[in-house]
Amino acid sequence: MNKKPFLLKTTLFILLFIIIGLPFIPLVLSSLSFGWQWPHILPESFSFRAWEYVLFGSSGTWQAVWMSLLIAFTVTAVNILLAIPAAIALVRHQLRAKWLWEAILFAPIVIPPFVAVMGIHLTFLRLGLTETIWGVVLAHISPTLPYVVRAIIISYSTLSVDWENQARMLGAGPVSRFYYVVLPHLLPGIAAGASLSVLISLSQYLITFIIGSGQVVTLPILLFPFISGGDPAVASAYSLLFAGIAIVTLTVMDTALKKYYQNKKTAIEKG
Amino acid sequence: MWQKSKPYLLLLPAIGTIVLLFFGGLFDGLLKSLGYFPAIGETGFELTAYTELFRSSAFWESLSLTVRVAALSSLISAVMGAAIAVSLFMLNESAKSRNTQLWHRMFQLPLTIPHLVGGYIIVLLFMQSGFMSKIFANFGWIGEIQEFPVLVNDPFGWGIILTYAWKEAPFVSLMIYPVLSRIHRSWRDVSRVYGAGNWSFIREIVLPAILPAWTIAAFIVFVFTFSAFEVPFLLGVTYPSMLPVYSYQLYTSGTLADRPEALAVNIVLAALTILLGLVVYYFSKRWNVMKGWD
Amino acid sequence: MSDLRIINLEKQYSQTPKKKNPAFSLKPVDLTINEGEFFSLLGPSGCGKTTLLKLVAGLVQPDAGEIWIGDANITAVPPEARRFAMVFQQSLLFPHMTVEDNVGFGLKMQKIGKKQRLAQARDMLVHVGLDGFGSRFPDQLSGGQQQRVALARALVSNPRVLLMDEPFSALDPGLREEMRDLLSRIHKEFRFTVLFVTHDREEAFHLSDRIGVMSEGRLLQVGKAKDIYEQPESKKVARFLGLKNIIEGNVANGRFASMDQAIEFPVGESIKSGASYMVLRPEMLKAAHRHDLQSPDSLYLRGTIQQLRFNHGFYTATVQVEGHQLESHFSNQEAEGMAVGQEILLVVELDAIHLTSE
Repeated sequence: MNKKPFLLKTTLFILLFIIIGLPFIPLVLSSLSFGWQWPHILPESFSFRAWEYVLFGSSGTWQAVWMSLLIAFTVTAVNILLAIPAAIALVRHQLRAKWLWEAILFAPIVIPPFVAVMGIHLTFLRLGLTETIWGVVLAHISPTLPYVVRAIIISYSTLSVDWENQARMLGAGPVSRFYYVVLPHLLPGIAAGASLSVLISLSQYLITFIIGSGQVVTLPILLFPFISGGDPAVASAYSLLFAGIAIVTLTVMDTALKKYYQNKKTAIEKG
Repeated sequence: MWQKSKPYLLLLPAIGTIVLLFFGGLFDGLLKSLGYFPAIGETGFELTAYTELFRSSAFWESLSLTVRVAALSSLISAVMGAAIAVSLFMLNESAKSRNTQLWHRMFQLPLTIPHLVGGYIIVLLFMQSGFMSKIFANFGWIGEIQEFPVLVNDPFGWGIILTYAWKEAPFVSLMIYPVLSRIHRSWRDVSRVYGAGNWSFIREIVLPAILPAWTIAAFIVFVFTFSAFEVPFLLGVTYPSMLPVYSYQLYTSGTLADRPEALAVNIVLAALTILLGLVVYYFSKRWNVMKGWD
Repeated sequence: MSDLRIINLEKQYSQTPKKKNPAFSLKPVDLTINEGEFFSLLGPSGCGKTTLLKLVAGLVQPDAGEIWIGDANITAVPPEARRFAMVFQQSLLFPHMTVEDNVGFGLKMQKIGKKQRLAQARDMLVHVGLDGFGSRFPDQLSGGQQQRVALARALVSNPRVLLMDEPFSALDPGLREEMRDLLSRIHKEFRFTVLFVTHDREEAFHLSDRIGVMSEGRLLQVGKAKDIYEQPESKKVARFLGLKNIIEGNVANGRFASMDQAIEFPVGESIKSGASYMVLRPEMLKAAHRHDLQSPDSLYLRGTIQQLRFNHGFYTATVQVEGHQLESHFSNQEAEGMAVGQEILLVVELDAIHLTSE
């Protein structure tokens, strides 16, 4: 009886290794290599040269990391402020032409946003928004906002209107109702939307490049010349750092939320 | 008055932002693709950019490459994604271990990897002197670098396809898994009673159940790959290039006069994605796919 | 005086194409609920009682009519400013707050300081029998306890009217009775005004000072439990109160006759001629002995016992009288010696027969 799960687990493990693990091996090896000629499976010699360059050299890594995170979190904060009222309107109110509003909000999920960015480029240029952080932040909003709206809508529609009515009957006005009753329920949805927003913003290359014109240096901008034919060791180290920052940011947000609920005692799903 | 307009006022910030930044950009691009460009003194409307575009072979080759790459990427990621989802499901069925959560996380790792990094991983793995090639050489399957097929920066687009297959397979499995987990354990028992083995269980019960979600997921991957820029830019060749890259090349390399053509490519691209998006929307509504996912 | 006055309140729901709710309308309702009174709206689901409750709460806006409390017109006042309280079918405790914080929520909205808030909340928890539960979270309580907290939360801010929307219907039967007694006791202690909505007759009879019977958007009859039970104003009310033995007939020339002429007796002069229904309450039907003198003030009915069932404490007999099946209650003593198939003579005093209209 025990044999089958074991066999299955082994197969699964091999599958996992091939699909998920294997691709990272050359990336890690390459970042530590000091010359790696074909057909050697391992580099001839190892060194931390690339990592030293990336992490401690005057390569501008940390400015780029900082810039990426600054843009990602600013975009996300703006998105949340825009998305919450929109979600309230779409979930709680009778709207005429609801499909139209939804179509407008979700259009950037389907239509590639760089199309709009190229179109608006010259207008931004005239407004002096190119080569600025604000310009890049504005450009990052359309690819990310729809996901935040969607996450909050999904979360809000699981909250029965009875809860808000109950709060009303206890004398809570619109602001108190939102702050004490709705917001605690929406937090997981907001966090999920925020994670997506941060992730998408972090990995934008083309949009940042067009609007930032190479002057707003985020991690992808810094990374690109290296991976398109630069020093493979440095490129690998940068890639790992980039992937690491994306994963760490998401994990931190996830844990922070879990902490919040452990402190507040989770019972949301009971409602 | 306030009560009536309140919901629209709540919508206004988000809608306004999208209309201004996104649809404004689309419209701006549309005008310029039609030759309306007051900044350089052009105020008339003409279809030159489009006629030029449809007459150039570069556009048609780019379009066919884009369709091919998108189709193969979605196909391969669909197969891989289903394999991942089904094996996770089987694992969950046979062992009620708490590790399953961890397995899920592991399999979703490629989703969180930025596209550029994903592309570079494929470069290191599959370029002619890459990791795969080195492994093959060590097994004695190939003797020289040139014997390893050109899979990166190749005219067919294999590198792009491999990247998307790898990155989007977890997405497909994420779409299918909720449907699978709704397949009740008792179905399994019932099918056992009727003498169905593992394989016929998958073929008779599992496959029909996941088919709608599976198709939609593959379609979404298709639309996404269709309009992606970063990976084709990194892993493609200069000619032919995928539509977004083609547009970028026209936009940046040429003079201001080439820009209407670049923007025309964009408009065509946008129109095609809208069309594809409507198809996905129609079928997902009809098959009720998003229910389990939401 | 701060009676709750409902004046010609009206609400029309049109059929929406998206949701499949049929069109529904609440016909104008006129009602005064006295201060400190426990008033129940009783009716089957979909009769409009919850709509009426929500109108009073302010959660739904009326199409016409007014709501007054004392001498203040509150029709346009938003629910959060009415100083009412409401207990819903579900306890709707805020899951991220402790029991104390839940109970104190209304006071917090009135900007009452934390210390006083907690003190009052704990005090109210004692009243509902949950002393010491204050620092728990709602998910650590049973369904009945959660509903007690909801009750405490509603009462703590001393509402002008307490609205209750089938608050016990989600509980187990045993628990329901316990909660009913608790509510009854607390109401006697605090004497707040209650508007209570239920479809459960027993609950309404047990708790209420007065009851309003509703059906299809209309308030049919208002009165004390005993009055509406003994003198239902219409067949509908009688049916809904679970009254058995309703027989259709006619009043003419000072006599009532059933449609098939099988049952016939004189009626008082005050009864109008025309179509009518007689209601024979099962407990008023007695077994008569053959050798008794037949009194002119009573109606005698000869029939056959079809079924004899033991109910807690008494017997229920189904007696076939010509074309009618009548239900009758007998004490153990009376039922002794009765058997299915036996002939029986039933007697009921004419005063105990109630005649009502459609």
